[in-house]
Amino acid sequence: MVSPAIALAFLPLLLTLIIRYRFYFVLFYRAVLVRSWKDCVTGLSREERAYQYVLTHAIPGDPDSILEAFDIWCSKVEFISNIGPKKGKILDRLLMEQSPLTVLELGAHCGYSTVRIARALPLGARLYSIEMDQRNAAIAEKIIRLAGFDDDTVELIVNPSDEVIPRLRSDYGLERLDFVFMDHWKKCYAPDLQMLEGSGLLGKGSMIVADNVLFPGAPKFLRHIRKSGLYEWKVHRATLEYSKGIRDGMAELVYLGIK
Amino acid sequence: RERHRAKRRDGDREKKKRRKGRRRRASRAGEREDELQARHEKREAGRRKRAKNYQESEGRERDEEEQAQIKTGKTAKTKKNIKNEKTRKVEQEEGEAEERNAKGKKKHGSAKKEEKDEDGGKCAAKEKTQEVKKKKHKRKGADTLNSLSPEELEKLKEAVDERKKLIQGLRGKPWSMKKKLVTLRESQEFVEKYEGALGKGKGRKLYAYKVMMAKKWMKFQRDFENFKTACIPWEMKIKEIESHFGSSVASYFIFLRWMYGINMILFGLTFGLVMVPEALMGRPYGSIPRKTVPRAEEASAMDFAVLWDFGGYAQYSVLFYGYYNNQRAIGWLKFRMPLSYFLVGVGTVAYSYMVVIRTMARNANESGVGDDNSFNFSWKTFTSWDYLIGNPETADNKFASITTSFKEAILEEQESRKDDNIHLTRFLRVLANFLVLCCLAGSGYLIYFVVRRSQKFALDGLDTHTWWERNEVNMVMSLLGMFCPMLFDVISALENYHPRVALQWQLGRIFALFLGNLYTFIIALMDEINLKREEEKIVKFNITTWEASLYNSTVSENSTGPPITIQPADVPRGPCWETMVGQEFVRLIISDTMTTYITLLIGDFLRAVLVRFLNYCWCWDLEAGFPSYSEFDVSGNVLGLIFNQGMIWMGAFYAPCLPALNVLRLHVSMYLQCWAVMCCNVPQERVFKASGSNNFYMAMLLVILFLSTLPAIYTIVTIPPSFDCGPFSGKKRMFDVIQETLESDFPAWFSKVFSSASNPGLVLPFILLMVLAIYYLQSTSKSYKEANVELKKKLQTQNEENKKKNKRAALKAQMDLEEARKAASQTADSSQRLYHGKNRRNPPAPVREQGLPATRAPVPRNYHHGNHGAPGYLPGFPRQSEPRMHRVPSLQRH
Repeated sequence: MVSPAIALAFLPLLLTLIIRYRFYFVLFYRAVLVRSWKDCVTGLSREERAYQYVLTHAIPGDPDSILEAFDIWCSKVEFISNIGPKKGKILDRLLMEQSPLTVLELGAHCGYSTVRIARALPLGARLYSIEMDQRNAAIAEKIIRLAGFDDDTVELIVNPSDEVIPRLRSDYGLERLDFVFMDHWKKCYAPDLQMLEGSGLLGKGSMIVADNVLFPGAPKFLRHIRKSGLYEWKVHRATLEYSKGIRDGMAELVYLGIK
Repeated sequence: RERHRAKRRDGDREKKKRRKGRRRRASRAGEREDELQARHEKREAGRRKRAKNYQESEGRERDEEEQAQIKTGKTAKTKKNIKNEKTRKVEQEEGEAEERNAKGKKKHGSAKKEEKDEDGGKCAAKEKTQEVKKKKHKRKGADTLNSLSPEELEKLKEAVDERKKLIQGLRGKPWSMKKKLVTLRESQEFVEKYEGALGKGKGRKLYAYKVMMAKKWMKFQRDFENFKTACIPWEMKIKEIESHFGSSVASYFIFLRWMYGINMILFGLTFGLVMVPEALMGRPYGSIPRKTVPRAEEASAMDFAVLWDFGGYAQYSVLFYGYYNNQRAIGWLKFRMPLSYFLVGVGTVAYSYMVVIRTMARNANESGVGDDNSFNFSWKTFTSWDYLIGNPETADNKFASITTSFKEAILEEQESRKDDNIHLTRFLRVLANFLVLCCLAGSGYLIYFVVRRSQKFALDGLDTHTWWERNEVNMVMSLLGMFCPMLFDVISALENYHPRVALQWQLGRIFALFLGNLYTFIIALMDEINLKREEEKIVKFNITTWEASLYNSTVSENSTGPPITIQPADVPRGPCWETMVGQEFVRLIISDTMTTYITLLIGDFLRAVLVRFLNYCWCWDLEAGFPSYSEFDVSGNVLGLIFNQGMIWMGAFYAPCLPALNVLRLHVSMYLQCWAVMCCNVPQERVFKASGSNNFYMAMLLVILFLSTLPAIYTIVTIPPSFDCGPFSGKKRMFDVIQETLESDFPAWFSKVFSSASNPGLVLPFILLMVLAIYYLQSTSKSYKEANVELKKKLQTQNEENKKKNKRAALKAQMDLEEARKAASQTADSSQRLYHGKNRRNPPAPVREQGLPATRAPVPRNYHHGNHGAPGYLPGFPRQSEPRMHRVPSLQRH
């Protein structure tokens, strides 16, 4: 029988763990507990609740106000893993510098990043956004239209990314992608990137940006870009969206092509 | 004669080839030695550069010529004549160059001054040649036979000297690396080729021999250095760790190695002067009661559980105090065992004090007086890289940490300007300290509680309790010692200190924690000692009655029979508190070591294995994200080491085996921790240099040394030794052994002298004198420090002043330059052509200098005052207005 004194000696360890990993506990609470509770209470999905909030709090036709409403909802009310304002700024900067004409977005979720990208695009550019889930895609569509982007600017493709990428050239008449933004399933990063390489849509100077490479993390993806030597890459270190203590990174790759 | 010369030269060349490698190394060593001179050298070298260019080409030509001579074997009078002419020309040209240099540097407008300058330049050139000649005469005074013409020889000599100087000063040259390398190689070849050719006849052989011996000696020294480095144990291991983890982690291992060395010496003392003599020459096991396992324990004396607790046969062995006999001299050597025991006990402590203090003093000398507060960003920019890192991953980490530190520093700067967050920071710091204090108090209370409980258990008898309860004190102490630092670490994140400061705070806190634990333990031990002494009194009384009864019984039975022999195992004996104390310390050390190793294996190794192999099938990135690999905990490990050492110092008097155990432990942990660090830790995120923390460790070690000798000395001085065990049994106090020795082993006058020397009337003035001397030294060192700071300030202000002055001068120079350009633009072309006509090789100096940016122009070439610090001139030498220097020479040409 272990005496109570020995058990008490483990108290500092417990406290340490709680304090050190508090952000993860908070994240768990907000992303899992609150979400399932609200799902039960309201009967709506998380994305629908977010849409309702945005609809009531944002000005239609103004992308900035829509993004702001999203940010407030995600930081104050519930948690959705959008790209978030801080990493979003990096993305904006990269888009401004690059000013790409053809942009592919993998994983639109509920349209936050789509609006964010579309806002920063130059005139005449076109954004192809791929979303796998039907319900999310419907909400993303609504959000995009609410922000005032029409079909010519943003095209939403409802299909899994691994089905769409091989057909991009044939079905959508694409010759070259200037910019690719990845924010879908982290496990799909590496295979999708390889598929993109194989499809020949990446040209010299094409930029690929991948979110959440450190948390939840895409180790295979990082390993691939490290080893393939096809890219000039760096990881922008930041924190996880809407959370202060969890470190995350956004990978920026520039395709160099095969030498 | 010519052929003879050629032959000799051939021989020489071969020798030179052989010596080539050595010579290069030697020249490099010379380079290093002369780094200090480099600054001075640089100026001169700059002045001579142009002249050298000539000589270089000249030398090459000469070389070709000589080869031709060797091949053809013809007399070369005509060629020689040509050569001489050439050298003469070179001299002239050199003079011209000097003139031009002088003119270029001293910028005076008037023609008069120019003339003066010309003279000056010539003078300088003459002086230089004279200097060279003098040198040559010194070295070559013995040479009388001359196969080369003296003039030629002179030229050669000079060239060689120039080359040597060039090689020495090469490091400080503002050239590109490629150019440096090329120049170095060329000059070295040149020197190798002609150095040997300078001596003549007998002297030449001697000279060559001398040179060869010098090289050999140099090589031997180098090899010896290498050998010495190779002899340092674990050097390669530590270097490897340093390259992976930066110097802070390596500093721990260096400290560990240092500790190992100290413990080796302590071990040598106790082992060689106490344990071995007793084992070899003392009475054997079983001869007297104190050297025998008592009858009651005999059955279980060899059980592993008992031995593991250092009972049974382990207790009754040389490992512990109680085994030693109070016989004054043992064996045929008449070894004074009790005296040796006492002196070794005192000597280990004294030696430790000496070493720690000496190391501290040395470290204090090494650390310069630097203030970290001013020039924060400059420090960061120029000094934040750790050049010992050799691993790309660590380099990445370091890069990231530098960038973050820059970000933080910028933020801090902004915040300090805002000045509103300081209260929050202060509040957080106070809060953190409050939390830490709470934590310390809690852990102290827990240990106190456990110790009290264990005393209750001890009174009840240990056999009725479980293993957990029996080992509660050790367990709780180890667990608290393990977990509380983690909590402190988390709490210290609140405070937002620089990592080095944070490390010191952390160290201080853990220090307090460990100290509290240790002293609780000692207080508990004291209680136990008192208990044992009570017991001893009873036993003593019992023994007298037992002896009396034994005597009576023997007397009553029959007085004529053989004297009864009682087995020593049956004799009743006292509890021997000294052995008990020794046992407690040994147990503590063992449990501490086990905890350390188990934590290492579970906390680091198991975690690393899990993270590594579960990562293939986990839903997030384990390596980069949540559990990750562990970092090496420098502060915790250092303190563990220090406290471990403290326990050794405390317990070594009562358990002579402790240093041996500690040596074993340190040896194992060196290998184990090296392996663990390389195999399952990741470099710290905020790698920082540990240069400052070494003395901090030492200071802590000193404090611990003091605190740990305190209880040991207290027990030695105040508590009388046990009556039936240990080397001091039967004496009133342990230190009585010294008096005894003085009385019986030394002549009478010696003890008289000793007693009169220990008279307070003599001791007190002596102590007073010592205190005064310390005070005096202290105050002088303080004043020196102050003077240093003052000088530094002066230098700074001077630098600033000079900077301002320079800026002003540069601005003026720029303006004047514009004017000059306008004026000289029409005539520039013709002047250039003129130059080209006059001297082919030398690019026209004024034109080149015009091309330089105006800010770079004011470089003082003040030969007579060549000793000043490079960048800033002292205000005593005001600059003249530069502007005209660019124009004047070109005007003069017309």
